[in-house]
Amino acid sequence: MTEQEIIQLTNQVFEESFEIEKELLKPETNIFEDLGLDSLDVVDLVVALQEKFGVKIRNDERIKNIRSLGDIYNFIFKLKEEH
Amino acid sequence: MKRVVITGAGAVSPLGVDVPAMICGIEAGKSAVRYMDGWDQYIGLRSLVGAPAEIVNEKAIPRSSRRSMGRMSIFSVQAAEQAILDSGIDRGLLTSGRLGCIIGSTMGSAKSINDTFEIMIPHKDLTRLSSMKFFQCISHTAVMNTAQHLGITGYVLATSAACASGLQAIGAGYDLIRLGKQDAVLCGGAEDLHPTVTGSFDILFATSAGYNNEPEKTPRPFDAKRDGLVCGEGSGILLIEEYEHALKRNAKIYAEIIGYHTCGSGVHVSQSNKDSMVACFRQALSDANIQANQVDYINAHATATIHGDKEEAEAIKEVFGDQVPVSSLKGYMGHTLGASGSIELIASLIMMQKECIYPTLNLETVSPECEGIFHVTEKLTKKIDIIVKNCFAFGGINASIVCKKIV
Repeated sequence: MTEQEIIQLTNQVFEESFEIEKELLKPETNIFEDLGLDSLDVVDLVVALQEKFGVKIRNDERIKNIRSLGDIYNFIFKLKEEH
Repeated sequence: MKRVVITGAGAVSPLGVDVPAMICGIEAGKSAVRYMDGWDQYIGLRSLVGAPAEIVNEKAIPRSSRRSMGRMSIFSVQAAEQAILDSGIDRGLLTSGRLGCIIGSTMGSAKSINDTFEIMIPHKDLTRLSSMKFFQCISHTAVMNTAQHLGITGYVLATSAACASGLQAIGAGYDLIRLGKQDAVLCGGAEDLHPTVTGSFDILFATSAGYNNEPEKTPRPFDAKRDGLVCGEGSGILLIEEYEHALKRNAKIYAEIIGYHTCGSGVHVSQSNKDSMVACFRQALSDANIQANQVDYINAHATATIHGDKEEAEAIKEVFGDQVPVSSLKGYMGHTLGASGSIELIASLIMMQKECIYPTLNLETVSPECEGIFHVTEKLTKKIDIIVKNCFAFGGINASIVCKKIV
């Protein structure tokens, strides 16, 4: 999976699950401050990312450090590299 | 005790997205009952008809509020918004702690409950569940979503008594205001239509199963050819208010709630019981301090089940005789279950305003065991000062409310 595909699929999650407009989806966008997600949304974000990428990340401690969309892209990229 | 008046009404019903759409449908003698595509895949489900309500413009509710809402909560939020607008109250009252919210339903959102178990059960896997499913499935989902969305900080309660839930919510609000604990309450009921809901009645042979090919001919309250109920969905919400509070702001008043009672039958979990209905009527009339012959219209529960309609007709006959007009609205909108009490009370208040009584749709030949009461089979022009609205529910729950026009 290429970096571009990861970005595209992650952005799809934000559009489909959180109704965020495409223009706001940039690597530097803070998912809490800029997009208004909260702790409950993060649970759903994990569910949606698991579904989209076929990964198990619910108990991955690195999720706690995610702040921006770029953090998610990098996290998924590393996961894919690990497997 | 303080006096309580109804000053706002909102409804999302099988006949449309607001109260005018509902009344327009009833005026036109329209049935919202239709054949439900896809229901035939359920093995053993005999009744394939329902009265669905349409979800329209739900994205006007921000995602942050909407994410925890199943169908019934979207309906209840929209109905509550209509009631607030209709009442003309200052929205500051919502956050004052003096306005409460009481909304009842049979259970949590049926579609959400079904979706949740469909995700979880096949592989016994919880990891695919959205955090929001819980908030859509819980018994107080409609009231908590509505109260959270509106920022309500007063009493927040959910009544859960199946088909009497909505009327019990109004009764509970009436009591809170009477006691001076709240100045106003948004109250009513909400419900989802889903094959599992119809199925719960179907396995008890309480649904209409003989009209799958001609859905508009069922349900048939009090009719000789009735064969059971048809489930519907939606929400009806009323804004009820302390009388002086309403007077001070020069509010439009639909009616005063002058009496209410709810009671159990103590007899059977599913079968309606005439004697306990009679007791409920008598106590509600006593609470209202009126005689039975002062009532101008009874909006019956009458869902078109064989036993329930008979018991209600006999109970009405015993208390009210054959001079008080009676009609049921189930033929138009099906049985909206927990929402039926509030939706049908709103329609009855409009009848009071318009000085007319809408007939029981599909009542062609009164069943012999339902005779002896004044069935309305054609639109009746009549001055209406006092109405009684009934709801009877599984669990042997009875509820009746008495409302009087303020002149």
